[in-house]
Amino acid sequence: MIELLTSILILTGALFTFIGALGLVRLKDFYCRLHGPTKATTLGVGSLLLASSLWFSTRGTGLSLHELLVTLFLFITAPVSAHLLAKAALHLRLKSLAPAPESETSGT
Amino acid sequence: MNLLLCVITPFLGAALVAAVARLGTWQAAAAAAGVTLAAGAWLAPLVGGTFQGTTLIERYTWMPREGLDLTFRLDGFGLLFALMILGIGLLVILYARWYFSPQDRLGRFYTGMMLFMGSMLGVVLSENLIQLLIFWELTSLSSFLLISYWQQRTEARQGARMALTVTGMGGLALLGGILLLGQITGSYDLSVVLAAGDQVRAHPLYLPTLLLILLGAFTKSAQFPFHFWLPNAMAAPTPVSAYLHSATMVKAGVFLLARLFPTLSGTPEWTWIVSLTGLTTLLIGAVFALFKHDLKGLLAYSTISHLGLITLLFGLGTPLAALAGVFHIINHATFKASLFMAAGIIDHETGTRDMRRINGMWGVMPYTATLAMVAAAAMAGVPLFNGFLSKEMFFTETLGTVAQLRFGWLLPLTAIVAGIFAVAYSLRFIHDVFFNGAPIDLPRTPHEPSRWMRLPVEVLVALCLLVGMLPALTVEPLLAIAARGVLQGPLPPHSIAIWHGFTPALWMSLIALTGGVLVYEGRRPLFALAARLEGRLEARRPYDWLVAGVFGVARWVTVRLDLASLQRMLFLFVLSALALGMAGFWSAPMPLTGAGPLLPFDPVSLLVALGLAACTASVVVLHRSRLIALILLGAVGLIVSLIFAKFSAPDLALTQLSVEVVTIVLLLLALYFLPQSTPAESSRPRQVRDLLLALAAGGGNAALAWAVLTRPAESIADWFLTHSLPGGGGANVVNVILVDFRGFDTLGEITVLALAGLGIYAMLDGLRLPAPAADAQGRAWDPDAHPLIMASLVRLLLPLALLVAVYILLRGHQLPGGGFIAGLVTAVALIMQYLANGVAWTRARLPANLHPLIAAGLLIATMTGLGSLALGYPFLTSSFVHFHWALVGDFELASAMAFDLGVYLVVVGATLLILIHLGLVHDLSRPPAEEPR
Repeated sequence: MIELLTSILILTGALFTFIGALGLVRLKDFYCRLHGPTKATTLGVGSLLLASSLWFSTRGTGLSLHELLVTLFLFITAPVSAHLLAKAALHLRLKSLAPAPESETSGT
Repeated sequence: MNLLLCVITPFLGAALVAAVARLGTWQAAAAAAGVTLAAGAWLAPLVGGTFQGTTLIERYTWMPREGLDLTFRLDGFGLLFALMILGIGLLVILYARWYFSPQDRLGRFYTGMMLFMGSMLGVVLSENLIQLLIFWELTSLSSFLLISYWQQRTEARQGARMALTVTGMGGLALLGGILLLGQITGSYDLSVVLAAGDQVRAHPLYLPTLLLILLGAFTKSAQFPFHFWLPNAMAAPTPVSAYLHSATMVKAGVFLLARLFPTLSGTPEWTWIVSLTGLTTLLIGAVFALFKHDLKGLLAYSTISHLGLITLLFGLGTPLAALAGVFHIINHATFKASLFMAAGIIDHETGTRDMRRINGMWGVMPYTATLAMVAAAAMAGVPLFNGFLSKEMFFTETLGTVAQLRFGWLLPLTAIVAGIFAVAYSLRFIHDVFFNGAPIDLPRTPHEPSRWMRLPVEVLVALCLLVGMLPALTVEPLLAIAARGVLQGPLPPHSIAIWHGFTPALWMSLIALTGGVLVYEGRRPLFALAARLEGRLEARRPYDWLVAGVFGVARWVTVRLDLASLQRMLFLFVLSALALGMAGFWSAPMPLTGAGPLLPFDPVSLLVALGLAACTASVVVLHRSRLIALILLGAVGLIVSLIFAKFSAPDLALTQLSVEVVTIVLLLLALYFLPQSTPAESSRPRQVRDLLLALAAGGGNAALAWAVLTRPAESIADWFLTHSLPGGGGANVVNVILVDFRGFDTLGEITVLALAGLGIYAMLDGLRLPAPAADAQGRAWDPDAHPLIMASLVRLLLPLALLVAVYILLRGHQLPGGGFIAGLVTAVALIMQYLANGVAWTRARLPANLHPLIAAGLLIATMTGLGSLALGYPFLTSSFVHFHWALVGDFELASAMAFDLGVYLVVVGATLLILIHLGLVHDLSRPPAEEPR
């Protein structure tokens, strides 16, 4: 039962990581590519860590909660880096596929 | 115990005074006076025994193998000096409270003074000569701080530097002399050395020993030709001059002469060198003093002259002359300190020290004038004042040589001439300042000073009068024990009295007095002559020439060694390393691959190694786009930390990781100020040359590593692995090595780290650099310096990161972690706050002053080490116990953990100090940013 659950979690994580990597390669412009690593990798790594926590908690050596801390750190840092990357891109006026919004903001 | 405490009290008190001084000037003065009284209180119970003639010696083992014990000695002579140091010190503390203006930082003065007082007490109370020398050098250092008290003035800095150079060189010579003395007698203990006089004088090394020791004494006591530093040291505040340059420090030289009198004196060499130096100094000082227009300059040269007189007396070598010398030490200290204080009052009230402008002060401050007149009369040797008594003894002693030597009559003659000039300059000091018409263009309107400022002068002047009129009742007992301490034997028959009948010495005194008045009357042509010779007879000329010469030689050597180009220096360095390595390899050819077994091949390691090589190569190729090169450098660091993790060095991996982060942040901050594009500087052939050299050096390193790693070798690792848990109580061998086995090294390292942090702080503080207003493509910086998402999330991160740091710190002794890593993690967490929220925001919430943190870390680490010393174990011995707590489980408490805490604090403090101040340079240099939206 635990093995099955762990396997599903690992596979989910791997799938999301793969999708994220694929997106990074295949998507057309910077803003789209940003979605790949940040969103999908968060979920992917999160699942993998959950799997690890589940697996090691049932090995009889007590609760394994390190992974939760790792997840927490990831959830804090990933949006920050994504936001900063997006900000930098806007500041550098990278080309976007999306039509420009009607009132041009000064890149902030 | 008392002597040790007496010497140590001022040193400890210096810290106390510095701390108390923040409360206010009165508190600072009271603390300084309290410390002085406390030092005196330790001495007080011993005074009775010393007056009965006992010599007290206290011994503490310090470095027994080097023959160096902490040994103190109290005899009559030491007691006399200790009383002068403490007594005049107390008066100067009171005087200084009124002398300094509110802008001056009194705390710094009193702290320096306490340090000086402790050093000086150490000099006069030392039994061991090496220990005496250590305190001797400490007086030079603390006097440097005191002379340069007004650091903003050029002449103060120059004067302090000159005094330090001259006395420092003398101290070096003295060290040589003391070492020779130790070789001859086989001991550095004063008792042994004093008893071994005959042995020393008969030894073939006697002359070099004597010369070296005299160099030390003469430089300290400003004897010709080293006298020039003293007038230049007059840039010091007047309390410093009154204390150091009249009563105490300059007396250290004659103290040494007197102290070693039984050992070294009694030979023709001693008599000739010491008495001739003394005589020359006596005369030159007296003559120059008359022509100084600066009030303190006059007193400085007069001090030189009087020191020459004392030196001459010791040089004559008879017991009576030595007695007179000791007497004159006392008298000179009282009248000269009071004269300096009076000069300080006049300077304080009028705003100038130029005697050509200060006139007619009698009408304004008659009270001060009376005090100064008494002191000046004592200086001139007028009957009924103390100076007269010792001067008359001096004249008597000079007459003793007439019959002994061929040109012996020259000595009393020169003595009379010097006496005449002494009277003349004393007269000038009084007449020019207090009478002689009206003042000319004074910066301030003078009036009588505060009552308290006059009090110290009154005390000293009263002493001058009491000693002068009732010598047998006042000074005789003290003088007797002091002279007995100097002579180390019975006293010669002597009588100190005002009236001895019409002796030749009295006639000499009368001639000096009359002659002095006549010389002062006829001063105008003499002054004109002096004005024409002004600057030609400066003794500092050869000194300046010498200093310039030394600088020239240093520059010559530097220019030839330093190519002023980092590239060329590195080229030469790598080339010579390569050449030496190859020479070593070829001279003893060996197979490159050793006999050790190789690890099995593993593709992941290969991949990692290839990645490392690729990143490194990219840094070289892309080094001109700095930001990208920096990122690649970061990648290299991360791969290295992965490699550490792979080869079971988790401690190193963690350290590498956190060091990497801090380094990258540091480089990013610095990169901001560097030019944004790097021009190509090397020509093609040079690039090829450098490439070949780099390949050869790198290949050589790789070959060396290969050769070492393939050889089976016994390393010291096994010892540490087996002894870590039983010996240090920790399973984490790396940490146990750091905090226990090699704890002393670590203590040194964190001290260096702290110093480096402070050094960088000193260089960055207030620094402004030209900062670029836009990036390489000319785009303006983003006005939103602290994006909201990052700022708020990073705040959330702080407690988590601190939690991790504490966890790493606590488990460090057993599992990977420890103070260094935890410190770096904490520093990174805090730096993140500064980066994300701005320096201003963070400084408002975190203590901005990091120096106490560093100090606390060092203190905790040192205290841990001293704690084991207190329990009777060697320094930094660690001990540990195992506990069991119900909820937490088994855990272990080691004293090394406290040490690790010290390491942690220093690392946090130093790292933050560096990074924050680099960040502050940004804020200072940045063009004022427009308000964020």
